[in-house]
Amino acid sequence: MSRIARLSDDAFSMETSSPTAAQSAAEALRGETGVIDAVPGMESIVVIFDALSVPPETIRARLEAVATTAETPPERSPLTIPVRYGGDDGPDLAAIAEALGFSEDEVVRRHQESDHRVDMMGFTPGFAYVGGLHPSLAVGRRETPRVRLAAGSIGIAGGQTGIYALDGPGGWKIIGRTEASLFDPQADEPFAATPGRRIRFVKAS
Amino acid sequence: MSLRVLNAGIQTTVQAGRRSGFRRFGVPWSGPADGWSHALANRLVGAAPDAAALEIAYGGASFEFGAPLAFALTGAPAEATLAGRPIAFHETQQAEKGDVLAIGPSTGGARVYLAFSGALRTDEAFGSVSTYMPAHLGGYGGRTLAEGDQLNIAGRNASPEMRLTPHDLRPMIGGAWALRATASLETDLLTPDACADFFDGAWAVGRAADRMGLRLEGPDLALRSDGRMASAPVHPGVVQCPADGAPILLSADAQTTGGYPRIAAVIRADRHVLGQMRPGDGLRFLKTAPDEAIAVLKAKAALLDAWAPDGSALL
Repeated sequence: MSRIARLSDDAFSMETSSPTAAQSAAEALRGETGVIDAVPGMESIVVIFDALSVPPETIRARLEAVATTAETPPERSPLTIPVRYGGDDGPDLAAIAEALGFSEDEVVRRHQESDHRVDMMGFTPGFAYVGGLHPSLAVGRRETPRVRLAAGSIGIAGGQTGIYALDGPGGWKIIGRTEASLFDPQADEPFAATPGRRIRFVKAS
Repeated sequence: MSLRVLNAGIQTTVQAGRRSGFRRFGVPWSGPADGWSHALANRLVGAAPDAAALEIAYGGASFEFGAPLAFALTGAPAEATLAGRPIAFHETQQAEKGDVLAIGPSTGGARVYLAFSGALRTDEAFGSVSTYMPAHLGGYGGRTLAEGDQLNIAGRNASPEMRLTPHDLRPMIGGAWALRATASLETDLLTPDACADFFDGAWAVGRAADRMGLRLEGPDLALRSDGRMASAPVHPGVVQCPADGAPILLSADAQTTGGYPRIAAVIRADRHVLGQMRPGDGLRFLKTAPDEAIAVLKAKAALLDAWAPDGSALL
């Protein structure tokens, strides 16, 4: 399988070694002539281009070139997120604890002690995919997604923590909720949980 | 001047140019689900193709003009009256102060476009005034219009040129569609039979059809995997296939990343059609090579741009 493949007539995808490599490639490509959007994934970067103004070969060549010039994004100060774990705020915590054979407190302790870092943003505005979850907390998604989760809901699935910035549907297992605002379109920096940023989850007082 | 909403219908939003450049933050494009019809409506009132206009799902809406203003209707056909007199789609209309524009339910298709000769006053977010309801971005307070809303329209054009959309630009809006589509990254995860079923089979638009995407009903597609994959970028036109085998065709408000196999992608030139597909419509996919897709795009763009300069930016 080639490292670069066609997602659609107007988008190429390239495999990357890590979410960080995808982020830096997207940063390097955005705003370039003919590039409509450069979107990082967990293991890939996608470039959506304007096929009316630039030939696909030009975009493919640019993607090939960017792979070797990837740089690490600038470090931001860690973001502390106070969480109310369990109960109505974390309706899946009890079931996770039971399935893993831990107490709820132990699940919370391991979640807080994990070395969290934002892998990527995506899905809907402000949603953060946070990597670094303690391996002992690896659980799958819910079999049936919830139709509506409240903004601030914090879930785990597939070795990551997900923070829902908006009300909406969601399939991750919810362990808690935060009052911290992760998306404010009026702010100078609308997104709090940006890629590469370290996250500290602490118990809300 | 102001335009008063008497009946907002099922879902009426302000749409304009797309919100591009922010997908890496999870911000969808939005913009008209049928960009072709949006560009035609604006052309009839002498506005730029990506000027703000109203997208009215399934028709069935009415408005009262607070001052004389030219306007035009395109998209999903419906009976319409101005001050009680029948009016046609695809031609410039002139409203007088106090006139009521009543748009009946669409008889086919899914979205009516209503453009004005003056500029709609709207909210801007991330470089676009298009409405994205889930995050309350753009448009009229980031939401669908409601009865009693007053839209402000500036710089009215009292006597615009009267125009008719040329007949070869008016889209055929019926209940059966053919969409050209390319293979995509995970097409190989379909079994050979499922791949044949997808590209040759008869599909129907399911009940879950909105600006984010359309669930399709048809052959059960078998995947050669458990369907689990790392979250990866998607965009309008991409077809995802969850483990249950019922594909999802992503539209204007498509999420920016997803975890389901991407089995096909409707070509850019045909994506405007998604905005007119309604539940129960029939649908077929025509497998198309990427180079051919771009040739089709250039031909369609030339056709549209010759009448509505820069209209192709909405394709």
